[in-house]
Amino acid sequence: MEGVSYQRFPKVKIREMKDDYLKFDLRETDASMANALRRVMLAEVPTIAIDLVEIEVNSSVLNDEFIAHRLGLIPLTSDRAMGMRFSRDCDACDGDGQCEYCSVEFHLKVRCDSDQTLDVTSHDLKSSDPSVVPVDVAQYAESGGYDASEQRGILIVKLRRGQELRLRAIARKGIGKDHAKWSPAATVTFMYEPEFHINEDLMETLTLEEKRDWIESSPTRVFDIDPNTHQVVVVDPEAYTYDDEVIKKAEAMGKPGLVEIYAKEDSFIFTVESTGTIKASQMVINAIEVLKQKLDAVRLSEETEEADDQFGELGAHIRGG
Amino acid sequence: MNAPDRYERFVVPEGTKKVSYERDTKIINAASFTLEREEHTIGNILRMQLHRDPNVLFAGYKLPHPLQYKIIVRIHTTSQSSPMQAYNQAINDLDRELNHLKNAFEEEMMRISREY
Ligand SMILES: [Zn+2]
Repeated sequence: MEGVSYQRFPKVKIREMKDDYLKFDLRETDASMANALRRVMLAEVPTIAIDLVEIEVNSSVLNDEFIAHRLGLIPLTSDRAMGMRFSRDCDACDGDGQCEYCSVEFHLKVRCDSDQTLDVTSHDLKSSDPSVVPVDVAQYAESGGYDASEQRGILIVKLRRGQELRLRAIARKGIGKDHAKWSPAATVTFMYEPEFHINEDLMETLTLEEKRDWIESSPTRVFDIDPNTHQVVVVDPEAYTYDDEVIKKAEAMGKPGLVEIYAKEDSFIFTVESTGTIKASQMVINAIEVLKQKLDAVRLSEETEEADDQFGELGAHIRGG
Repeated sequence: MNAPDRYERFVVPEGTKKVSYERDTKIINAASFTLEREEHTIGNILRMQLHRDPNVLFAGYKLPHPLQYKIIVRIHTTSQSSPMQAYNQAINDLDRELNHLKNAFEEEMMRISREY
């Protein structure tokens, strides 16, 4: 039976690609694959986040664990994450998670000595590794069109005169399944690509007014009227939310079968948004890699296969083979 | 205080096998595979891939309990194949599909970045 394969050859078409946003079509595969990719992006693509905080001085209004929690939630640039080790299986530091293979150290030292309230932000975190730093929101602000100078990093705590915050933090590699702070995903969604079949003959029995009325019944703008031919056309298939409103409307108008709408079972439109820890496109590539590793881990071991071979022969013998 | 560690959901404990296999005692060519620390992600793609194999008569998976971090994949094949063969085939096919997908995605990324 060697050489037999039931493999599929999926196709990809990227529609829009920004650092933190990606929209693409995935075709010629099934929902299980699309959903596996979505689930892996949300919960199993690794990133780096602060996981251990040692507070030296904290005279701020927030308690130690509150600050530690806020530090954990700060997104850190994680292009290194795929190549890093998890602290729990790092040999170099016996799993205490303090070596360069599995961790990044941060220091924060801020004291307020003026009458003005002082903001302690992610900019005050000093990293031991220049490739792992708090995500620079200002960088996105520029492309977003608002003033970058107003972006001062992510607020951790505010200090008044005489208050001080001094700490050491260890960031580690992790996955969203462990804690959501490690998830690189802001959102990952996919929808089935819809397919519309308008019964043109039946449609032409409608007056222009009725056509308008029918189009209006859709809560999203999926259809419109061609101004020249006065024909109903699909203007935005993806705006359709599978709400069935136009189908019900057609029935109510006494025109059942005016339109038929199917979900193509092998076509998916993905929207991927990143928190900024890794690029959205990298998230997809890492998800594919992680899924491959997961599959590899569930391969049968040789001893299991051999044990079964013996059993098989014995079984055949018993069955009189 | 006595809460289990969060990583227990996805780290296979020492001394436990990741995959174990148990032949059905009553039906020929039927078997169950127990996959430790896996869930719907792997269960569902394996099941759907197994359904593409015409020698597979039945393929299904279950997550027996949300606090037992394992899935059970059950396969029944014709005499032309065996559960183990079908299982290995499904993993190989999925692996190749993902290789293809990765290449397709990277090519598409190259094409898009040239356009901008
Ligand atoms: Zn280490």
